[in-house]
Amino acid sequence: MSLLQLTTYIAAVFFLVVVILKTVKIARMPVHLRWDLYPIPHEKGKAAYGGSYFENSSWWEKPRLVSRAGELREMVVEIFSLRGVFRNNRSLWWFSYPFHIGLYCLVALIVSLKIPVVLHWTGMPVGGQAPGFLSLALQYAAHAFAAAGWTLTLIGGLGLLAMRLFKRDLRSYSRPGDYINLILLIAVSGAGFIAWVTVDRDSHHLRDLAHSLISFLPAPTTTPAATACLVWLTDILLLYFPFTHMTHFIGKFFTYHKVRWEDTPNRPGSLIEKKIQQAADNPVGWSAPHIDPLSTWTEASGGGKVPDGEK
Amino acid sequence: MAKSKPTINDFRKRAGQLVDIDDMHPLPLPPPFDKPGSEPQIKPLPEDGRRKIETDLDGVSAVRFARPETVDQKRELVGKFFSGLAKLFDPRSNWTFLEPLFLTMEYCVRCQTCSAACPIFIESGKQEIYRPSFRAEILRRLYRKYVKRGRTLPDNLTEKEIDAAWTMIARLMESSYRCTICRRCAQACPIGADNGLVTRELRKIFSQEMGIAPRALHQDGSVQQLEIGSSTGMPPAAFRDNVSFLEDEVADRTGMQFHWPIDKQGAEILLIHNAGEYLAWPENPMAFAIILEKAGIDYTLSSELAAYDAVNYGVWYDDIQFARVAVRHAEIARRLGVKKIVIGECGHAHKALMVIADRILTGDLNIPRESYLTLLRDIVLSSRLPLDPSRNDDITVTLHDPCNMVRLMGIVQPQREILKAVCNNFREMTPHGVDNFCCGGGSGFAIMQDGNFPDWRHVVSSRAKMRQILNVFQDIIGPEHKKYVCAPCSNCKGAIRDMFAAYRLFETSNILYGGLVELIVNAMTDIEKPFIDWQWH
Repeated sequence: MSLLQLTTYIAAVFFLVVVILKTVKIARMPVHLRWDLYPIPHEKGKAAYGGSYFENSSWWEKPRLVSRAGELREMVVEIFSLRGVFRNNRSLWWFSYPFHIGLYCLVALIVSLKIPVVLHWTGMPVGGQAPGFLSLALQYAAHAFAAAGWTLTLIGGLGLLAMRLFKRDLRSYSRPGDYINLILLIAVSGAGFIAWVTVDRDSHHLRDLAHSLISFLPAPTTTPAATACLVWLTDILLLYFPFTHMTHFIGKFFTYHKVRWEDTPNRPGSLIEKKIQQAADNPVGWSAPHIDPLSTWTEASGGGKVPDGEK
Repeated sequence: MAKSKPTINDFRKRAGQLVDIDDMHPLPLPPPFDKPGSEPQIKPLPEDGRRKIETDLDGVSAVRFARPETVDQKRELVGKFFSGLAKLFDPRSNWTFLEPLFLTMEYCVRCQTCSAACPIFIESGKQEIYRPSFRAEILRRLYRKYVKRGRTLPDNLTEKEIDAAWTMIARLMESSYRCTICRRCAQACPIGADNGLVTRELRKIFSQEMGIAPRALHQDGSVQQLEIGSSTGMPPAAFRDNVSFLEDEVADRTGMQFHWPIDKQGAEILLIHNAGEYLAWPENPMAFAIILEKAGIDYTLSSELAAYDAVNYGVWYDDIQFARVAVRHAEIARRLGVKKIVIGECGHAHKALMVIADRILTGDLNIPRESYLTLLRDIVLSSRLPLDPSRNDDITVTLHDPCNMVRLMGIVQPQREILKAVCNNFREMTPHGVDNFCCGGGSGFAIMQDGNFPDWRHVVSSRAKMRQILNVFQDIIGPEHKKYVCAPCSNCKGAIRDMFAAYRLFETSNILYGGLVELIVNAMTDIEKPFIDWQWH
């Protein structure tokens, strides 16, 4: 195993483990109170104007109409157009959009480089040397993804860095970590761009390396320095990435699906109700004069006792 | 001389008042308030008051917290703040909002996309301290240092360090009452971070750990509601007297003589109004009573403590007070044996009992809750009332969308369906629906009437709504046209009332405000005289 392979395995495994642990940590957080925010795209027939099932009288007696397709549509539009930024922060969108599209292209590039290897395992005659339509299509796709990915990420990253440096409202809120994130991403995309332009226009060096990595074969001996540099920079990025807000793709899943769009009503006997009852057994803990910190949430809320009023 | 724009670091380091009121340059308003001196100003607090209470943020005081006099007092307050900060991120003490708060702390990329969506920031002329991410970033830095990295506050802080820490905390306390929690910022955020939630969570540290909250929200609000029966201070006997008086008033105005059902066991519906309606806008519960009587609805009011007042101020500042009020409402409904609770014209009461309390009320306390809007929409569209929209033809009506019912609950169409059935001259504000602007009185601001805080509300937090109202009526802005802002929420009405009074909008432009039910009764053909009394009140 070459050093390049070893560092890449370590970085990839480390990245996956930390990302999974972060995801699990959030997923295991206690049930929280509802904090819906409309529009919610799965509200069937109502999402377009921001309506909800609360618009129906006796809503709890009626079937809940949920459109997963509507939710998916909203996600696809948001992911591929960054509509929120386009509508609310147009100057940032001009760089954020190519930057994100570039990153998507790079993910697609990695996938397109690995598909031939996976298909090869299944016995299909595709791969670097194999002829055929699929092989050709994958090669063209890799070309396109590499060209768009390296270029757009580099342009977008440089633009975002310039905005952070020169736009007052961004600069005064940016921390060193924000600059390091961008510089690292620019370094990776810059190295990728240089390698692509100078030594790897058809990404075959990357493909060979990907092949060796997922097949556990010896590393190719002909990896050029520019490509090796790109891989090592990517390894550094993978080691650093999970500890930054660049993992907002994880956070975004939860902020949207588990907070903003989480409008599941608490039905008697439901799992939600059980989770609430468990949480309400916790001691309150807060110490202001109107609170007994040792009481449970159920006790602190009065437990349903109603004092006699002045009659 | 104007001070430079304060930065996050200035929040802790700069001495004295961070921003001067005179340095605020709100966006100009449309006619008739486009001339210098034509709009109200924020009056500075007297020197004596500024010496005694914390005003070091912007010279305005919402909380009216007395400045601590000794270093020991400050040390104690600083210690409590940091213990509250730790509890905010404890899964037992703050299971209620830990996940959304954690996500906002961790994943904000500081892109400032939220800023353009915030009416307070924009209308104030982009005052940095009102930027939605400003207070969030301060909390985030405290979270990273003291929660995430686990650093503790040293015991041996010098007097100067204690002073600096308290100054920051006192400013943060006031800052948490410069946001109406309308959550337009969260709606705009591409990540889904929620600076409105940060505002509320900060308020929780002050209330739940330090015992600090604006008097109107806590002592005179949720405490009074639980102990006396209503945040208005109205005890049960006074409530019953009020209802009796309003029964007579209905008879005088309409000729209809009937008793309003109170504490009727086994009724289909428990109807809970914001008790402020009985005192400030009695025509509102009167209109409800007329509509429900005419439609033959089986309902009851309750005279139990807290159950004749739908408000739940805990929703703005304190989870425990919130839970106490929500459980009380549900328990009384359970004892009455009603099939559902219907909430009257009160936005935050809708969100509190229907949405947030959905994860508080379990077992037999989980009684179905519904908005009055769906009930009335069904009544109006079912032709159970004799309605003629032309009876409202002399009024041009626009609709204010209360944030709590609309952006935060998705109740958008029923009120429009009702309005279109009872008014011919209805026009929408821009923007409206889930993109609406807050009235400026959200998150408790409408009831906080001390010092110069109402001035700040009129000039800053209500300004976007003021602009919308002026714009929607700009072609008929003169006093010869009767114009009506339908605000189907008590707190919104309170904020709009105060704003109209401050700008003298009724006198200069003949714009009145009111609820939705009044327009319905005004359109009823079997009521001889117009129900809406076209006078300032």
